[in-house]
Amino acid sequence: MQILGIRHHGPGSARNVKDFLEEMKPDIVLVEGPPDANDILQWVGKSDLQPPVAILAYQPEDPQQSLFYPFAEFSPEWQAILYARKNNIPVRFMDLPVMHSMAIEKERIEKAKTQGQEQKKENEVAEPTAIESADATAAVEGDEKAVPHFPIDPISHLANAAGYSDGEKWWEVMFEQRLNNEAIFEAVGETMQELREAFPKENDAREKLREAYMRKVIREAEREMFTNIAVICGAWHVPALTNMPKQKEDNELLKGLPKVKIQCSWVPWTYDRLSFESGYGAGIQSPGWYEHLWHYPKDDGTRWMSKVAALFRGKQMDISVAHVIEAVRLADSLAALRQLPRPGLYELNEATWSVLCNGENILLNLVRDELIVSNKIGAVPEDVPKPPLQVDIEKIQKRLRLPQTADWKDYTLDLRKENDLERSIFLHRLLILQINWGEKTHSSSKGTFKEAWRVQWRPELSVDIVDKGTWGNTVEEAVSSFLIDRCKSSSSLQEVAGLLQLVIPAELTGAASFVATHIANMAAATNDVLELIKVIPKLADIVRYGNVRQTDTDMILSLLTSMVTRVCIGLPAACCGVDENTATAITDDSLKIEHSIQLLKHQPFQQQWQQCLQQIAFNVQAAPMLRGFAVRHLMDAGAMKEEVLYNTFYSSMSKAVPPPEASAWLEGFLKGSGTLLLLDENLWQMVNNWVTQLNEEVFTQLLPLLRRTFAVFSKPERRKIGEKVKFEGSGITKTGTQISINKERAETAIGVVMELMGYSSN
Amino acid sequence: MSTILRQHAEQLFAQELEELGKYDMGKRPANWKLTPQAVVTYLVGGKLNNGFEVTPKYIGSRKLMEIAVATLATDRALLLYGLPGTAKSWVSEHLAAAVSGDSTMIVQGTAGTSEEAIRYGWNYARLLAEGPSEKALVETPVMRAMKDGKLVRIEELTRIGADVQDTLITILSEKAMPVPELNIEVQATRGFNVIATANNLDKGVNELSSALKRRFNTVILPVPDSIEEEMDIVKRRVESYEKVMELPAEPPALEEIRRIVTIFRELRNGVTIDGKTKIKMPSGTLSTAEAISVVNNGLAMAGYFGDGRLKANDLAAGIIGAVIKDPVQDKIVWQEYLETVVKTRDEWKDVYRACRELI
Repeated sequence: MQILGIRHHGPGSARNVKDFLEEMKPDIVLVEGPPDANDILQWVGKSDLQPPVAILAYQPEDPQQSLFYPFAEFSPEWQAILYARKNNIPVRFMDLPVMHSMAIEKERIEKAKTQGQEQKKENEVAEPTAIESADATAAVEGDEKAVPHFPIDPISHLANAAGYSDGEKWWEVMFEQRLNNEAIFEAVGETMQELREAFPKENDAREKLREAYMRKVIREAEREMFTNIAVICGAWHVPALTNMPKQKEDNELLKGLPKVKIQCSWVPWTYDRLSFESGYGAGIQSPGWYEHLWHYPKDDGTRWMSKVAALFRGKQMDISVAHVIEAVRLADSLAALRQLPRPGLYELNEATWSVLCNGENILLNLVRDELIVSNKIGAVPEDVPKPPLQVDIEKIQKRLRLPQTADWKDYTLDLRKENDLERSIFLHRLLILQINWGEKTHSSSKGTFKEAWRVQWRPELSVDIVDKGTWGNTVEEAVSSFLIDRCKSSSSLQEVAGLLQLVIPAELTGAASFVATHIANMAAATNDVLELIKVIPKLADIVRYGNVRQTDTDMILSLLTSMVTRVCIGLPAACCGVDENTATAITDDSLKIEHSIQLLKHQPFQQQWQQCLQQIAFNVQAAPMLRGFAVRHLMDAGAMKEEVLYNTFYSSMSKAVPPPEASAWLEGFLKGSGTLLLLDENLWQMVNNWVTQLNEEVFTQLLPLLRRTFAVFSKPERRKIGEKVKFEGSGITKTGTQISINKERAETAIGVVMELMGYSSN
Repeated sequence: MSTILRQHAEQLFAQELEELGKYDMGKRPANWKLTPQAVVTYLVGGKLNNGFEVTPKYIGSRKLMEIAVATLATDRALLLYGLPGTAKSWVSEHLAAAVSGDSTMIVQGTAGTSEEAIRYGWNYARLLAEGPSEKALVETPVMRAMKDGKLVRIEELTRIGADVQDTLITILSEKAMPVPELNIEVQATRGFNVIATANNLDKGVNELSSALKRRFNTVILPVPDSIEEEMDIVKRRVESYEKVMELPAEPPALEEIRRIVTIFRELRNGVTIDGKTKIKMPSGTLSTAEAISVVNNGLAMAGYFGDGRLKANDLAAGIIGAVIKDPVQDKIVWQEYLETVVKTRDEWKDVYRACRELI
C-alpha cells in the first residue's frame, strides 16, 4: 500500500501523483472524497465531462443543504481518478460519507439551538454555543479542501522556520514547484508525522471520524485481496493512515452514525468559483496560474509573460517583445534576490506591474481576472443522472441556443422573431423561479419589441435548480406551481400585482388567469384604497404592452376596469383627514394613475377619474394638497369652467386660509409641473395675475409659503420662471440662453421618457 | 561632530554599510558594493547575524524595494514615480549609496536642463586654445558614472524638456555615449545604471516618450498606508535631524507627532480619521516630508524661543504654512477644518487656540 499525501488542487502534487501511479501500477485507487458519489465516478474520463466540474451532494428533501466537491484538471484527485478509469482499475472515495457528516452536523446545530434557548432562559451567556454553532455551519459549508486548514496552520510553523511569510507559499516552493520529485511522498508523510506530533488535535471529533472511515475503506480493500493499493489523501491525513490502530477501535467509533438521504450529481464548475474563499473552505487564489503550471511545468516565466503580453495587445496596448524580455529578466532577478529557484506568480506579477504596466495597478487587475483566475467553465455530459428540472432546462438551453458561459454575455432579443421571443419567455420563467441566470438590462434601441439581457452562469445556480425541482419536472410546470404558491401565500396586493407583471412576459396563461382572479379577489376584500392605487399603474402597463407579446389582454382589461372603479369610489374618502406625509404619497400615486389613464386613452376610465377628482376638489375635508392636485388636473382636462377655476384658486390661496394649508394646496396644484407652468399660458396667467394683485403686506406674509412651493422645482426651472417674470413685457422668454444641454434638467426628464418607453420608473 | 550641514547617505550610514559588507558573502553583481539582498536589508532595515541593527531607511512595502533593487541588478533603468514628498529622492540616494557607495552622481532636472548637462560640455577656453581634445571635454555625472560603473541619479526627469530627455535613450540601450567631435565613445562599465525620479502631480511636466519609458521599470511610491506607518517615518526622520542640527529642544512626545500626522492625513484624504466627517481638501499635497519639516521647525522654535518642550504654538505656524499654499482657497479650507474638526476635539484645545491666534 502506498499513501500519497497531496495538497488539494496543487498542480505539482497532481503531476507527482500521475507520475507515481504510472510507475507503481496499483490495482485499486482510493481517493479522499465522498463515497456517496462512487456511482458517478464512471463518467470521469469521458470526453464530454470536462473539468472544472464538481460533485454536488445534496439532500433530496432539503436541496439547499448541499456540498460541492470541485475538481480541476490539475487536482491530484482528478488525475488519480482519471488514471484508474483509463487503466480500468477500481477507484473508490474514502472520506466520511456525506450522508453521515450532514446528519451529524444537522444534529449538532439542532442541539446547539436548543441549548442556546435553554441558556437564554437561564440568563447565562450564550456565547460559547454561538461560536460552536457558527463552527458547525462553517463545517457543513466547507469541507476543508486545501492544505490542512486550522485556526493556526501548523504548516506555517515550518514555513516560518524556513523563513517564509506563509505556509501556502512555502508549500508551493517546496512541493509544488519542485521538478525533481524523488521520494517526495515519503518526505510529505514524515513532515506531517512531525507536525501532528507537535500540534495534536485531540478533540476534533469530526477529524477522528473521517480518518477512522478512511481506514475502514482501506481495510475493506485489503480484505478484497487488493495488494497494490494507492491512497490519495490530503497531506495531513497521511500519518493517521500509515499507523493503523486496532480495527475494533475504529468500528466502535463508526458505530451508529446518523444518516440522511443524499443524492450526487456532476455539475459544471468555474475557475472563478474555485478561487472563492467562502464557498467550500479554503479556495485557491490563482486557478489560471495553476492550470498554466500543470500544462507547462518547466516554464521559466517566458510563456506566461507572452500570455500576458498577448492579453494586453488584445486590449490595444502596445507591448513589444523587448518588454516581455525585460519583464522575464526582472522576474528572474527578483527570484534570485529572494533566493527562489525560479520565479513564481508573485515575481511574475511584480515584473508585469513594473515593466508592462508602468506601475499602474488597474492593468494588473486585468491580468488577475483574465489569466490568474481565468474564467473557465466545465461541461457535464447529458446522460449523467440529474434532477429532471435541470434536464429540461438544459434541453431548452440547447434548443434556444443559449449556452451556459462563465463570463457574462449580452443578448438583444427581437420579440418579433420566434426564437428570440421564446428565449425571452424562458429567461423570464427562470427569473420567476428565482434562478437568476439572466438579468434584464436596458435596451439601447427604441421600441417595445426589443429586450436586452445579460446572462452569466454561476455554479450555485445548480443548487437553485435542484431546489426548485420540487415544484415540477419541467420549467413550465415548476414555474406555474411555484408562482401559484407564492401568490397564495402573499398577503400584499402590490406583491401579487408585481407577480402578474412577471407572469405576462413569461407567457403562462394558466398561472396568469389564476393570479388575475386572485388579484380581483384580494381587491374586493381589501379596504385599503391606498394599496389599490399602487396597483393600477402596473396593470395599465400590462394592458398597454400586452399586445406586443400577443397575449390576451382582455382579461387584464376587465380586471383593470374593476380596479379603477373601486379606486374612484374609494379615493375621495381616503383623502380626508390624512396627515401631510400620506397626502404627499397619495398625490404621487395619483399622478402615476393620471399618467396611466392618459396613456391608455380609454374613455370610461377618463370619465370615472374626472368624477373622482371633482369630488376631491370640492371636498373641504380632503387634504389641501390633494384638492390642489385635483383642481389642477380637472383644469388640464378642461373639465372645469374658467370662472369656477379662478374662484377656487383665489379662495384657496386667500389670506384667511392658514398658510400651511394654502401652501400645501399650491404645492398640489403645481405638482411636478415647473415646466408646464412656463409653457401653459393659462396656468401662467392665473398664477401670475394672482401674485401681482396681492398688496405688499399680504405678499410679504405669503412669501414663505410661495418660496416653499417653488423650492421643489429644479434650479433651471426656477431660473426660467424668474426670467419669464422679468421679460413678461416681451411675452416670450429668451430662448437664446438655452443652447447647451442642461444635465440636471435632462435627468428630470429621464423618468418620464422611460415610462413612455415602457419601463417602470421605480 | 562634522561641520557639514547635511551629510550624504554613504557618510551618515557609513557604519551600517561597512557592517553589511562584512557579513555579506553572496554573489555581488559587478561593481556593486553589496549583494542585492544586503541592499534591500539596508533600505528596509533588519538585524544582522552578528546582532548589528540596521535602521530602516524606507518604511513601507518591502516588495517595492525588492523590485527596485532587482531592476538595478538587470540592466534596466529605474524610474521612481509618485507624489511630491513620498521619499523618491531619499530612496534613490540610499540606493546609490548602498549599491555604488556614492550618491553624489546627480543631475537635477529642470526646464532649463540642457543636453550638455547630461552628455558632456566643453571647456571653451581650452577648446579655443588647443582645439577639440579629451582634455577640453567637461564630463557630466552621467559620463563619470558610466566610466566608473556607478549609479547616476536624475532628479525630476519629467521637468527636463522632451528633446533633452531623449538623449538618455542611447545611454540606456547602447550603454554608450558617442563623442562625435573627437570620434570616440565612452562605453559604460559594468555596474552603471540610472535611477530617475519624477512626480505625477506637477504642472508643466514633459511626459516621457514611449521609447524612453520602455527603458525604465517603474516603481510607484505610495503615500503611507496607515497612520502608524506615517508616524514612524516622521519620528525617525525628526530624530535624525535633531542629531544633525543639534537642536536644543527635547525630543517631541509621540502624541505631538500623532496630532501633526493626523491633521496632514485628514486634510490629504478629505475625511476625518474616523471616516465620519467629510472635509475640503487643500491644494497642497501635504506629504509626509512636509510633516517632518513641520515638526523640525517646531522643535527649532521650541528650542530657541520656547522652553525647549514642543508645544502646540510652536507647531501652529508650520502647520499653517504647509496647509495654506493658496492664500484664498486654502485659507477657507483650513478655517473650516479648524472650526469643524479641531475645535470639537477636547484634547486639541491648545492646537485650536494656537492656530486661531495666527489667522
